[in-house]
Amino acid sequence: MNAFFLAFAHLRWTWARSLVLVIVGALILSVPLVTQVLLRGSEEALTRRAEATPLVLGARGSQLDLVMSAVYFSQDRAQPISRAAEDAVWDSGLALPIPLHTGFQTNGARIVGTSLDYVDFRGLRIAEGRQMALLGEAVLGAQVADRLGLGPGDTVVSSPENLFDLDGVYPLELQITGVLAPTGTPDDEAVFTDVKTTWIIAGIGHGHDDVVTPDDAGNVTANAAITQFQRITPDNIDSFHFHGPSGDYPLSAVLVAPYDTRSGTILRGRYLDPENPLQMTVPAEVVAGLVDRIFRIAALLDAVTLVIGIAALGAIGLSLFLAWSLRAPEIETARRLGAGRFMILRLAFAEIALLLIVSAGIATGLVTVVTMNGDRLVAWILAL
Amino acid sequence: MLKPLACALAVLAGAATAQERPVVATVNYPLAWMADRLGGDAIEVLFPVPDGRDPSFWRPGLSDIAAIQQADLIALNGAGFATWTTRASLPRSRLVDTSAKLSAAFIATQSVSHSHGEDGAHSHTGTASYTWLDFELAAGQAEALAAAMQRRMPDLRNRVEERLPSLLADLAALDTQARDALATLQGTTIIATHPRYQYFARAYGLDIAALEWEAGALPDEAQWQDLQDMVAETGASLLIWEAEPPQEAKERAAGMGLASIVFAPLATRPASGDFASVMRAQIEALATRP
Repeated sequence: MNAFFLAFAHLRWTWARSLVLVIVGALILSVPLVTQVLLRGSEEALTRRAEATPLVLGARGSQLDLVMSAVYFSQDRAQPISRAAEDAVWDSGLALPIPLHTGFQTNGARIVGTSLDYVDFRGLRIAEGRQMALLGEAVLGAQVADRLGLGPGDTVVSSPENLFDLDGVYPLELQITGVLAPTGTPDDEAVFTDVKTTWIIAGIGHGHDDVVTPDDAGNVTANAAITQFQRITPDNIDSFHFHGPSGDYPLSAVLVAPYDTRSGTILRGRYLDPENPLQMTVPAEVVAGLVDRIFRIAALLDAVTLVIGIAALGAIGLSLFLAWSLRAPEIETARRLGAGRFMILRLAFAEIALLLIVSAGIATGLVTVVTMNGDRLVAWILAL
Repeated sequence: MLKPLACALAVLAGAATAQERPVVATVNYPLAWMADRLGGDAIEVLFPVPDGRDPSFWRPGLSDIAAIQQADLIALNGAGFATWTTRASLPRSRLVDTSAKLSAAFIATQSVSHSHGEDGAHSHTGTASYTWLDFELAAGQAEALAAAMQRRMPDLRNRVEERLPSLLADLAALDTQARDALATLQGTTIIATHPRYQYFARAYGLDIAALEWEAGALPDEAQWQDLQDMVAETGASLLIWEAEPPQEAKERAAGMGLASIVFAPLATRPASGDFASVMRAQIEALATRP
């Protein structure tokens, strides 16, 4: 009788043991590969996006926090800077500054307040609906739209920065006007709006009912219960206004795209002074350092995986040996029925081969799924 | 058979050429005129404000904003003109605030202080926005526009450079004409139906008091009373209308001893002529008032 038929019948009879062995085998085979796929994907995504971002201007402090926040919209929070820093870059005539305000979230996605220059800079394309045009409008990244099941015509509401900041931000309803085509970058996980809209969320700008009639001195005092609008509509948009000098408005960072190499060098030189509260970072350099560190850790991870794999293989071997020991009477019966030593060995190898084939099949499936969704997974991991 | 095909190809080629022309969007007619003078037929000037609408307060529709967002250059007047631009998403790389470097010359207008609940009092200071009526400021705006066009449209650099002196010369000629011709009006008070002429008055030494009348509409009794009071207070004998008023209004003003002159600030496109020719004629008419 076919050895594989008998081996399969036995594995099916002892299905629980076979299942455990197959899962353990699949994990031993797939985990190192999945880790490598994600690490290589992260490295590539980190490097590609960093290299596509010439310079980042932000508050002096951790360069890594600044780059991760400005380039990958991570949870890392660099100190805010003022809009005057963006204006200074613009006035220099050396580079295009692109403002970023990444202080707020909605439904677990980062709200990125920026200008339309960001769309051109990153080459983003509207897949559905239209580009944002007015205050209070937003465009969703592909992943956010997919996860939330939202599209043009729907709305999202901004969340407080944290539970203890109940009066610090202005919960504003954002009208979704479009969804971006997927890019496999952190842009897929973001909600884009005009930077002025984020200033409204921050409470710097607002819209409200008309204030009361001025007194004799020409001053008007609005009732404390005056209604501030939490949604920007065609009827109330004209009442929205901002307070204070525009140069004081906050930004998380400024992406800086120099017009040429010389301009970039000159700009970097202007922010070298350690007394300057601003710093100009080169994301590619910061990320190269990060990637080096990741791969040093990855090498350690590989060693650990190897040791665990050897131990797991030993455990599997031991379990097979014990199983065959328990099957000694059964093998003895087979011998009496005329099965030779070679036949018994064939049976044993057929069982091992079947277990390996199924484990390898599952491992291949896992690696394929991770590889196919690598960009999305990497974007999600980087946005954490 | 070949002839229609050739014609069709010619039409398509023409359309393609038209589409390839860079677009300069402007928020008022003076900037549209300047852009046209600088770029000529090498550019397409987009001035989407419909006839009869005041560009200062016009609110564009979504299709208008989408068209403006696509423009290669978006020329703003600055000084608070066209407030919709502060509520719209426009790419900074394509924006030029033509009066940004002239802010020291801005004229502040009356502001209202107010407070929200426990917040401290604050005010929104206004700025007179019809900057181009001071033709020196208009020349500054033209230079800023030319620089932005050269930056955004490198292919037109030489063309703009060649055409800028002619535009500046026309504006300088208007400035000279206004200084010379309106000198006789200095020391007298003029009443304007709308507060549009702050820069014009300051540049050419005029004293212009302003009402808040709607352009081209027949004023109501309260507004006539305001005019009567202002005439009594200032002794003015000249009334500047922003747009052609109803004949009845002109007659009633005449009854108060006021000569009526139409002096359009030209924020919108004139029915005939261009900025320079219409402005020349208006200055002449003001100088040779009845």
